Amino acid sequence: MDFAFSASECAFAEEVRNFLAVNPVERFPLEGMDAGYGSGAHSRAFMRALADRGWISMCWPERFGGHAKPMFFKLVLFEELALAGAPFGPLAGSWQTADAIIEYGTERLRGEVLPAVARGEATFWQGYSEPDAGSDLLALKTEARRDGDHYVIRGHKIWSSHAGIATHGLVFCRTSREARRSQGFTMFVVPNGTPGMDIRPITSLTGGVYHYEVFLDDVRVPADLMLGPEGQGFQALLNGLDSDRFWGRFYKAPALERVLRRLVEYANTTRVDGAPLARDPVIRRRLAAMATEIAALRVLFYRAACLLRDGAPITYETAVAKVYADETGQKLARLGMDMLGPWAPLRAGSPGARLDGEISHAYLTSLGHTIAGGTAEVLRTTVATRGLGLPAESKRS
Amino acid sequence: MDVRPSPAQQLLVSTAREFLRKRAEDPAPWRAMAELGWPGLLIPPDLGGSGGSVLDVVLLVEELGRAGTPGPFVPSAVVATSLLLRAGTLDQRKRLLPAMAAGERIVTVALLDDGGTFDLDRLSLAVDPKGRLSGRKLLVEAADVADDVLVVVRAGTDVAIFLLPRDRPGIARVPLDTIAVEKVFELRLDAVAVAADDRLAGGRDTVVAALEAGALARTAEMVGAAQRVLELAVEHAKTRVQGGRPIGGYQAIQHACADLVRDVDAARGLLHRAAWKLEEGAPATVDVAMAKAYAGEACLAVARRGHQIFGAIGYCDEHPLHRLHKRIFAASLDCGDVALHLETVARAIGLL
Repeated sequence: MDFAFSASECAFAEEVRNFLAVNPVERFPLEGMDAGYGSGAHSRAFMRALADRGWISMCWPERFGGHAKPMFFKLVLFEELALAGAPFGPLAGSWQTADAIIEYGTERLRGEVLPAVARGEATFWQGYSEPDAGSDLLALKTEARRDGDHYVIRGHKIWSSHAGIATHGLVFCRTSREARRSQGFTMFVVPNGTPGMDIRPITSLTGGVYHYEVFLDDVRVPADLMLGPEGQGFQALLNGLDSDRFWGRFYKAPALERVLRRLVEYANTTRVDGAPLARDPVIRRRLAAMATEIAALRVLFYRAACLLRDGAPITYETAVAKVYADETGQKLARLGMDMLGPWAPLRAGSPGARLDGEISHAYLTSLGHTIAGGTAEVLRTTVATRGLGLPAESKRS
Repeated sequence: MDVRPSPAQQLLVSTAREFLRKRAEDPAPWRAMAELGWPGLLIPPDLGGSGGSVLDVVLLVEELGRAGTPGPFVPSAVVATSLLLRAGTLDQRKRLLPAMAAGERIVTVALLDDGGTFDLDRLSLAVDPKGRLSGRKLLVEAADVADDVLVVVRAGTDVAIFLLPRDRPGIARVPLDTIAVEKVFELRLDAVAVAADDRLAGGRDTVVAALEAGALARTAEMVGAAQRVLELAVEHAKTRVQGGRPIGGYQAIQHACADLVRDVDAARGLLHRAAWKLEEGAPATVDVAMAKAYAGEACLAVARRGHQIFGAIGYCDEHPLHRLHKRIFAASLDCGDVALHLETVARAIGLL
């Protein structure tokens, strides 16, 4: 049993901290909203800065321009960036897409898109959900029809994060009608700006834009922008789910730790009836309990990381970790709102806003976390059926 | 990093599990456990022990908790052993530890008094000017089977530890009636004479370290018991049929079981991290406090949710669930409750 990072991982963490000291995160211009997951806002400049250090592609095989670093280097990078509150929003998606391209991408994807990912230029939106296909993804209606050496996509995607500012969509389509409901799906990498693609922002309850809906009206895509096996897209998606859940939430624990530190500082410097808020026994106990939960969350992710690294079987571990990450984040935001009292609802930039309005934003964004990427309900069912072997609830006829 | 038990540690776990399964009906498995070297795990070989590690103890106590094995393992083989190892005089160590390792001698610890807390600053009992102890110690486990008791008392601003044989004149054991599984006693001390050579060499630091080991062991006991509740609940959900299908086919039960997994896994994660840190010789006070506080809430939640999953059958005396539940409750209180450990965490995260 060993809970420590290795010497080379610690050295890399030091390198990242030095980079952040020289390049304060506040200096990078942002173009997309921080959705509260822990990876910060969307910043092309920050992605390019990471690319300049070679960090986006560091774990790729050398023949794809990487340095074949161990997977744990990505954990280290995520932890340091999240603890600093850096704007690395698109990074997890870039890594996941790059891994898929390395695994089964066409020559064109490997030759054109992969180097753009490494340069921090290519970022991706997910075209999975549709108005009538949320938790039930197989209900999707978007179709891709073969036409010579192209596919023609027609459909309507929704809840696609950062679609308006990313460079490519990962559009999940039906390519054939099959007897089995889960067969006949295919993924395409569709460049933004392709004729027929109409990307419209959805203003969220925060007042900002994170999601978009995308109308695809006979969008012609070259066949070699297909990602993964034709017709087997759903299986590929399922196979990648554990890894997606992991990488989409790993940074949550260190990000929550950063917020907790701010709340501790706030409790120490805010006086209520002449005494520091930190001496309020209820607040004190809730903060200590949150620190404990965040530590527990981190260990759950470390365990999942060891399984992923070793290719060990995963049945429920990442599903449990994702739900716990999201619910712990909601709990911390709730505690923060309680601590800020009457000032809690004030937004960033408002006169009187406490902690830069970060808490009210986190409170709102965290509401979506137990829905996006698999609702807490779907995931608990996954834990119970796939992890514990409980029988699936019988389907509607 | 590899947070999973090593192959050797897995072997320890499977051996212990198999042994405890076979001995499930044995009311006093202590002697048999001694043959496997368990009571002497923390004791070095030159004192007759098996020279195991903190991690070994944690993994073993998880299994004891899972099996619901009765006995004085935590008070004697963990807390008392830690006190004697750290602060026993040469004579005390040579006289007691080999016999303890052999399972021939049991030593318990009496610490809680009228203040009702493991906060050492709030101990009230002290030696009077005539060198006698008068008063009481509360909730002493294993007092009926212990050959000796280590009494922790206030000594000015420090604390003192006295090793007293069970038959020292003036000591009386009053059994308490508790919902907990293990018997507990009030130790009444009526002008009990204590001599200089009854006293251990250490004070507060010794007791703090021994309580840390005890807190870790109690955490392991909770995690093991909660693991068992999870296993039983899942088995029940698969086999109990209502409305034409196993209740585990209903999402209400599925989601409850999913929460049990989270609670058990997260509690075990903090437990193993704290044990690993102690073993590495790194300061682990905060890690132990986090692990104990977390398990105190999470494992109790597992037991309580377990009752809901089991329905009426879990309300019966013959069903194992309530014993596991009561064991978790008692373990959450021993060696510092949730509130005490969260206060340690509160200070560690920098709260004024």
